[in-house]
This record gives sequence, C-alpha cells and structure tokens, in this order.
Amino acid sequence: MMRLLQVLAAEDPSQTHHWLLPETAEIIYGGIAALIIFAALYKFALPAAKKALAARTERIQKELDSAANTRSTAEAEASNIRRAVGDIASERARLLAEADQQAALLLSEGRARIAAEVADLETKAEADIAAARARSSDELRAQIARIASVAAQNAVGATLTDGTKQELIEGFISSVGGAR
Amino acid sequence: MSEARIEAYARALAEIASAEGSLDTVEKELYAVARAVESNDQLRATLTDESIPAARRQAVVEALVGSAANTTAQLVGLVVGAGRGRDLPAIIDKIVKRASNAQNKEVAEVRSAVALTTDQQSRLAAALERATGKAVNLKVVVDPSVLGGLIATVGDEVIDGSVRTRLDQVKSRL
Repeated sequence: MMRLLQVLAAEDPSQTHHWLLPETAEIIYGGIAALIIFAALYKFALPAAKKALAARTERIQKELDSAANTRSTAEAEASNIRRAVGDIASERARLLAEADQQAALLLSEGRARIAAEVADLETKAEADIAAARARSSDELRAQIARIASVAAQNAVGATLTDGTKQELIEGFISSVGGAR
Repeated sequence: MSEARIEAYARALAEIASAEGSLDTVEKELYAVARAVESNDQLRATLTDESIPAARRQAVVEALVGSAANTTAQLVGLVVGAGRGRDLPAIIDKIVKRASNAQNKEVAEVRSAVALTTDQQSRLAAALERATGKAVNLKVVVDPSVLGGLIATVGDEVIDGSVRTRLDQVKSRL
C-alpha cells in the first residue's frame, strides 16, 4: 500500500491523469467516506445483525427443543402403544384361556348331563321292559285263571245233577244243624 | 226314598194286611213279589218307569201276582201307582221283618239253586234256629246262580255253603 502511495505521490502533476489510479484527493475523500461508512456500519448495522443472528439462533434452538420434545412425546406414545399392545396380547391370552376353561366346563357338564340322561333312559327302559314283562305275565295268569274258572264252572255244572244238588242241600242242613 | 218313608209305607201296608186278616199269606206273597222284582231287570224297569201310565203298571202287577190273594195285588198296585215301585223290595222287606218281629222271629233268607221241599224247609228252619239260637221265619229264594248248595242269611249272619262261592274262591285263588 505504501508503495502504491509512493508511486502516486511521485507522479508528476503536470502530466496527464493516470489511466488506472484515481486522483489523490479522490482517494482521500473516498477513504474518509469509506471509513465513515464502516463506522456507521459498525455502529448501527452490526448490533442489528448480531441481534438478528441471536434471534435466529434462539429460534433454531427452540425448534431443536420442540423437536426434542416431540421426539420424547413420540417415544412415550410409542412406549404406551407397545405396552398397550402387550396388554391386548395378555388380555387376549386371558380371554382365550377363560374361553377354553368355560368350553371345557360346558363340555364336562354336557357329558355328565348326557350320561345322566342315558342312565335315566336305561333305567326307564328297564322299568318299562320289566313292567311289560309283568303285565304280560299278569295278563297270561289272568287269562289262565279265566279259562280255568270257566273250565271249573263247566265241569261243576256238568256234574251238578239234581241228585247232587239235593245231596248238597241235605249236607248243608246237616252241617248247620250239627253246628251247635 | 228315605228310610222313614219306607218304614211308613211298610207300617201302613202291614196294618192293612192285618186288618184284612191275611198278614201271614200276604207277607209270603209280597216276599215272592219283591224277589221277582229284584231279579228281573225288565220288570223292575217297567214298574219304576214314570212315563208308563199308572193303570198300565198296575195291570202288570196284577198279571205278576196272578193267583195271589186280592189284598196282595192291591197293596203292590198301591205302591207302584204311587210311583214308589223302585222302593217296593225295601218296603216289602220291612213288612216281612215287622211280621217276623211280631212273632219274635228273625227273617232267614235262604237262596237255593232249586226249590226246597216242605220237609227240607222245616228241617232247615230247625237247623238254623239251633245254629243261631233264634226263632226264624224262613224265606226261600230260588236263585240258579247259586249253582248248588245253600246260602242262608239270618240278620247279619251269613252261612254260605254254595257251589258258587266255592267256585269264586277257586277263581280268586287262581
């Protein structure tokens, strides 16, 4: 820089303006103006930029925190869901076990009831058979008695002649008269 | 009919027969009529049928009594005409009992398959008197269902020597 300033200062004013370098005054004014601008920027723009950066940092941090919260909540919900799934599975297992138990009980009761009914039917059938056998036997006995009675009556009727009847009457009179 | 009414009819008819002086004969004939009514369903139905005119029922009675004394026919006709034909046997039994009681006798009803001779009746009456210790008024009823032998009923006592009862016993035992 200093070399450049030396070149510029060593230049002959009477000569025409260098095609590349500006006028000295212009450099001075320009430098001062640049300093003023930098100062203004340092004074006014830098705090605003810092503030905006801090706000952005804070927003990003908030978003990060929110994302962390969301993740935590999601993990908690996932845990709840996993636990609920586990509860459902255990409940399903319990219901299935209970259903199996009830089915087994019903089956057992049904078998017992059927066995009792079969036993009752067998008893009733045996009683019916015995009754039918007794009835047949009674009917046969009654029929034999009827036939025998008719046969006896016919036989007695055939043997009861007038003489026999008179003998029976005389026998009755004798037995009654000799009773005392 | 109530017992009192039967008793009243019996007393009235017995008084009439006594007044006519034929109680002994009438009592015997009435007894035969009562047994005939008891043993004959058609006769009993005719005498107790209220739809048959009383005159016709009395004509049946006269045909039944036949040669009976006029008093007997009148007494039976009186009962039947009064619509008491159903109670005729009970009334007559009361009359017979009253007549027997008047002679200090017990009615002895004897059922036989065949008719008894007079000698048999007198010997049977004597035998029953000895057996029961009571004087008896013997009434013989011919009942073929007895088959053989006799059934004697004196008061509440029954002496059964019939073939029918023996057959029933055999049947029951069978």
